[in-house]
Amino acid sequence: MSSTLSQQFEQASPGQSGSTQSETTQGELWGVMAEFSDAASLYHAAEHFRDAGWKRWDTYSPCPIHGMPEAMGLRQSKVTFAMGTMAFLGFSCAVAMQWWMSAVDYPIITAGKPFGAWEQFTPIMFELSVLFGAFGAIGGMLALNGLPMWYHPLLKKNRFLRVSDDRFVLAVEASDPQFNKDQVKALLAKLGGQHIDEVEA
Amino acid sequence: MERENIALPDGALGAIRFGSIGLGLALIAATFWAGWSGDDKTAKIALHAYHIGFIYALGLALGAMGFVMIFHQTNAGWSAALRRQFENVMASIWAPAGLFAFLVLMQWAYMTHFKDGDAFLFSWMNTAKYGNDHLLEKKAAYLNVPFFTVRAAAYFIIWIGLAGALYHFSTRQDTDADPRHSYNARKLSSVGLIAFAFTVAFAGFDWLMGLDFHWYSTMFGVYFFAGNAVSSVALVLLICVLLRKFGRMVGHYTEDHQHDMSKLLFAFTVFWAYIGFSQYFLIWYANIPEETAYYLVRKEPGTIWEKLSWALPIGHFILPFLFLLPRPRRRSMGWAALWAVWMLVMHALDLFYVVRPEAGDKFHWADVTGILGPILVMIGFVASRVAANPLIPVNDPRLAESLGHKNYV
Repeated sequence: MSSTLSQQFEQASPGQSGSTQSETTQGELWGVMAEFSDAASLYHAAEHFRDAGWKRWDTYSPCPIHGMPEAMGLRQSKVTFAMGTMAFLGFSCAVAMQWWMSAVDYPIITAGKPFGAWEQFTPIMFELSVLFGAFGAIGGMLALNGLPMWYHPLLKKNRFLRVSDDRFVLAVEASDPQFNKDQVKALLAKLGGQHIDEVEA
Repeated sequence: MERENIALPDGALGAIRFGSIGLGLALIAATFWAGWSGDDKTAKIALHAYHIGFIYALGLALGAMGFVMIFHQTNAGWSAALRRQFENVMASIWAPAGLFAFLVLMQWAYMTHFKDGDAFLFSWMNTAKYGNDHLLEKKAAYLNVPFFTVRAAAYFIIWIGLAGALYHFSTRQDTDADPRHSYNARKLSSVGLIAFAFTVAFAGFDWLMGLDFHWYSTMFGVYFFAGNAVSSVALVLLICVLLRKFGRMVGHYTEDHQHDMSKLLFAFTVFWAYIGFSQYFLIWYANIPEETAYYLVRKEPGTIWEKLSWALPIGHFILPFLFLLPRPRRRSMGWAALWAVWMLVMHALDLFYVVRPEAGDKFHWADVTGILGPILVMIGFVASRVAANPLIPVNDPRLAESLGHKNYV
């Protein structure tokens, strides 16, 4: 299966077939990518980049790799802050909206209850907290991922498509403060990377 | 697996076991004496205070039993290593059984001692005062002493049977390593959970809701269970962290197990608030006299019950909710243990709020001794169980899965 798929990739890109030399880059340099043949070598390469203090780089694999967040030194996602802030905003909106509607703007006597009773507001406070929290989670996730994005530079590389099949990729972005094209290429080769290639933006 | 990591030395926790049970029994005796030597009002206070302590002890065992059966029923892998601590609390059901026997004795003694007085825990038993009450007449088919006795006996037979069998399967597996014990536990849990749900709900109706026979709330069985779930998770969490503190269960109770225990504590704290609010909300909205009587007493301005009506939602829900919300706090054993202690105190306050207003708003030192006595006896029983067995089910087929448990980002 995987060999058929990889043949298809290579047929689709005859110019690249089996090539290790870089393509002629015309646009601005986005970064450098390297392929790894298995999860373990990608994992160890990630540990190296983590320990060397690289900032802008990522790993790509066809399956989740247990322990990879630790190997990459990822911290807890900041999406929770977006979610918490929005949930609190939703809570506040629910209080303000209901208090305004039923105690100030248009009070109606209902079952003899006080106009501004918190009890009757509570289900809506809960619902709006959850709703806004969900908006915060989705919006925060999109924003932190840089989405929407028309395309990702790596997707221009046909070899990168195999990351959804049987290849493991590590890509370093040119915007990293430590980035130096030739040194990164040498480092990736030393860590066991194959088909090291430049990626244009 | 070194032995000292998964077992306490022989004769460990002696001071806690005997000190706690001894002190507890002394406090119970003092409570009884306070009621006996005072008037019938004091006797009623002593009964209610003791009842709070008894329900607290019972709830710990019941909550733990529910978790053990849920773990078996769902074939839970993550919890296998720490299930033994739930089992220890569950198997201490003998303590509340004995405490209940003493409660019956206490009620009988006060009843005969204060012949014409109101020294009753359950007001419906006071036929001299409430015999002509219309609602009691309507409910007499359920609220009568013979049926009450049969129900109480049935609850304890079912609970002790379930706890005994589940504990037996688990401890036998320690020695004979037979995986069939796990299958048997799972089979028993499937019917056990049904029996558990009914008995816990009806025990809540009988022993807490029945304190005021005029009042009813269809939510009350779940409210009772929610409180028990919070307190039992908090206690087991505390036991595990203390064992870790003394260098035990290293590698068996990891940061990831801590994370999940904190999640359970967090979840059932929210669940308690959800059930508690739902109960209050429906009664508040419907405004039916039989139902509102319960909250009318507890929201009377200027009373301590009114202050507790604010303290409980804040202390039992809002504060733990906000403090346990960030992930690092839930993964920290120190923070989680702190909130476990907080929740154990809050659960006592919750039961105090449910039970104590029925005995009026005069207080007596028997309130303190009556609540603490049974709880200390229960702690002594749990400590005995913890010291008696390996700290983890050493031959559980899912132990390896549990030790490798991870919460991924």
